[in-house]
Amino acid sequence: MSIRVVFKYLGVVLAVLGGLLCFPLLWSVTIAHDGEHLSFLVPIAIALLGGLAMFRFIPSEERSLSRREGLALVTCTWVVGSVVGALPYYISDTLSSFVDAFFETMSGFTTTGATVLTTVGPQAPSILLWRNFSQWIGGMGIITFFVALFPMLGIGAARLFEAEMPGPQPERLRARVADTARALWALYMAFSLVEFVLLWLVAGLPFYDAMNIMFGTMPTGGFLHIQESVGAYMDQPFVTSVVTFFMLAAGANFALYFYALRRRQLGAIFGNPEFRLYVGIFLVSSIAVAVNLVSRADVPVGEAVRHAAFQVASIQTTTGFATADFDTWPSLSRCVLLVLMLVGASAGSTGGGLKVVRLLVVVRYAFREVVAAFNPRAVMPLKVGGETVPEPTVSAIAGMAALYVLALVGGTVVMCALGLDVVTAFSSVAATVGNVGPGLGGVGPALNYAFIPDLGKLVLALLMLVGRLEFVTVMALASASFWRWR
Amino acid sequence: MYIVVVGAGSTGYYVASLLSREKQEIVVVEQDEESAERVRRDLDVGVVVGNAATPRVLWQAEVQRADLVVAVTGVDESNMITCFMAKELGAKKTIARVRNPEYSGYLLVGGKSHYAPRKVVRPKGLGVDLFVNPEIEAAREIVSILSGLYATPIEEFADGRVQLREFKAESAAVTGKRIQDIPFPRPCVVAMLGRGAEMRVPATEDKVEKGDRLYLIAARKDMDELGAIFEMPLRSPRTVVIFGGGTIGFHVAEALEKRGVQVKLMEKNPARAQELSSKLKRAVVIQGGRPDRELLVDEGVAHADAFVAATGDESLNILAGLVARDVGVSRNIVVVDEPDYIQLAEAVGVDVAMSPLLLCGSRIAHYVLHGGAESVALLGNEDAQAIEFVVASNARISRHSTGELEWPKQAAIGAIVRGDTVLLPTETTVVEPGDTVIVAALLEEVAAVERLFKAP
Repeated sequence: MSIRVVFKYLGVVLAVLGGLLCFPLLWSVTIAHDGEHLSFLVPIAIALLGGLAMFRFIPSEERSLSRREGLALVTCTWVVGSVVGALPYYISDTLSSFVDAFFETMSGFTTTGATVLTTVGPQAPSILLWRNFSQWIGGMGIITFFVALFPMLGIGAARLFEAEMPGPQPERLRARVADTARALWALYMAFSLVEFVLLWLVAGLPFYDAMNIMFGTMPTGGFLHIQESVGAYMDQPFVTSVVTFFMLAAGANFALYFYALRRRQLGAIFGNPEFRLYVGIFLVSSIAVAVNLVSRADVPVGEAVRHAAFQVASIQTTTGFATADFDTWPSLSRCVLLVLMLVGASAGSTGGGLKVVRLLVVVRYAFREVVAAFNPRAVMPLKVGGETVPEPTVSAIAGMAALYVLALVGGTVVMCALGLDVVTAFSSVAATVGNVGPGLGGVGPALNYAFIPDLGKLVLALLMLVGRLEFVTVMALASASFWRWR
Repeated sequence: MYIVVVGAGSTGYYVASLLSREKQEIVVVEQDEESAERVRRDLDVGVVVGNAATPRVLWQAEVQRADLVVAVTGVDESNMITCFMAKELGAKKTIARVRNPEYSGYLLVGGKSHYAPRKVVRPKGLGVDLFVNPEIEAAREIVSILSGLYATPIEEFADGRVQLREFKAESAAVTGKRIQDIPFPRPCVVAMLGRGAEMRVPATEDKVEKGDRLYLIAARKDMDELGAIFEMPLRSPRTVVIFGGGTIGFHVAEALEKRGVQVKLMEKNPARAQELSSKLKRAVVIQGGRPDRELLVDEGVAHADAFVAATGDESLNILAGLVARDVGVSRNIVVVDEPDYIQLAEAVGVDVAMSPLLLCGSRIAHYVLHGGAESVALLGNEDAQAIEFVVASNARISRHSTGELEWPKQAAIGAIVRGDTVLLPTETTVVEPGDTVIVAALLEEVAAVERLFKAP
């Protein structure tokens, strides 16, 4: 493995990030007039000049990346990208501690939506715009964006793409990886545009609000420019239903949309077993929460259904918007939401968590072991939707599930050691590994992560990254043999 | 261009990797899950797992919009059926690898009388536009090298009026000199310079080092004279020893025998040796398969004019070639599978190493052309191509010289054929409509060159 090649390409990715930072800069200069242009100019200069200099002056051949180099580049991109992306918060003094700024940026890029801002709203509009825009970039992935823009990497691009896309085995929609990345970004932009237009022109929200809500919904992020989150729009049922619909859409596999559009059969989406289970989980959980709210908390039926549907969609897709402080809900509802945090959205979506298809496989895997106990000679291929899942994929999924549990347990122990109570510790870890955002207890939807000690914030930021890149990518870098046999 | 490659064996893998480097959209169809996984892992191409000789799988690979289908599984019949069905479904062109020569020729069916056989079934009727047979191609190439004056391979363009030939810089007349100072006896263009694994278009002030490979483009009549400054012309061989009696060995033996060359063919398998000796007229067949000195000396390899190693085992071939060189044969030609081994073999003392895969890829590359290219040859270790274009009057390059256009850096015009004259161009030579132009370019630049030969 050549560190030089990794840093050379990291330079290009940084330059791309510098280009993206120009959006909030332009907003600040032309529309908001909030005087924050320096907060953006400095990181843009660092990213663009530094990035291009790295690309130009690091002596190394331009070639396709090996597997190890790909893993290293993806992890480096997310870490270094978050450091550069944290500068606007730090320079504008929105967040006075750099650890806080780093946490906030990582939370944005990984579409977690966990915040350290005690109140959202008084900050400069362009800073809040960057906060929301960063999640939109992270939703489809900055590496995927880079692969779509620069098809020069050849097969190296496939390795990067696979390291960043969520799901057991990312599907190549088109023969070439660069085309696949372009197709995904195109779908993502199309959905974003439709949601934005619905909110802006049909619902009549101001341009800035509609854009920020879209930037929070499509990547299943959860940041918003106002303290009350989507709760502020509870009196506009059209807005909440549009947001609910697009959260659910963003939490499903984008490959399904691609094939449905290509074959012009929208019904094909519903034939997918993961999608059916995903919708089933949404319906069952919503009904359970609504019934629980009506019977235990005496909420009126209509309101209960709306809150339940919105909140279940928000947590299940790992968005993390809130229309109500669900931490005050009866314990069955809280428990359902906590479980949904762990399960997460579909593979190939912008959401996080373990992913529905993995749950499907892991459950069938467990039952197969049970049957094997009394019928050891049975040959039982593991099937999903009538198709056999290859054994290597099954074992990869089982391994990933085990890592997920380990991260939850390890993270909870660390957070408890730092002085958090058990509910807060566990839900903060679940909400960051699953890229959800708000948890329960001390990190509930009405509260924030500001009180957690710096070490705890760094641990949670790491967990967000590990969760977003689905463990293997980051953990490979941490294993000794990765470096020994380079 | 959308290309479907059927079969991910060594040929399929090689063709797919070659074409994907040219940034074509490629889907590979393979039945075996493990081979499919290897392609998925290592190449930037789509993969469909399944038997391509079924319409369902072909449909899945979207063969209906394919510009080219390349069927290179190990089974002739399956390749032909795949091409047939692909054509029926709407594929534009098809190529099949067919090893059995009886399939690729015309099928003879008896006419009305016994004395009037008729050709009825043409390859086109089978839906196959091109048959490729790597072994036969390799055998042809070996025979053509053996009957030439120099040991290196040759490519012909413009109906044979222009030749491109690879020479190794070893003589004192060439090494250590700048290209502009080399006393070429006849006009020519040094289109490419290969050093180790690297290929580039040389500038006139570049120095030639010992062991470099020079790719010369010149008129055919000048080529033999040009070669004299690189190496002593060889006399065409009168005795040839062939090691390995497979398809390649047999066809080389048969062709050489027809040219009056004395051939000795060594084959390990006694039954195959029997069969070979009954098929060949004058060639001597020896039963023996280990390339040890004793056997080779005993069989008079030391006094043979050339030694060809063509068993199915590439490492054995290289070894045999080296032993033969050690024993004292003047020319040795070795067949390898893996194109990467060509250079290694040539570095350790093999005159010419050739890979049937590479030849097959070169043939297929002909069909992947667009922009009016007439013919294509792969140069060196597949990193560069020589392409022949006929200039259309509306092409970008028409009525311009390369100096006036944004001509890609790693490409060079080797020759322009205007009417019957062969011009060797400079930066200011103007290209006229109707000219035949031979361009050498690195693979990465091929698309840029092709663009210049298209209408704007």
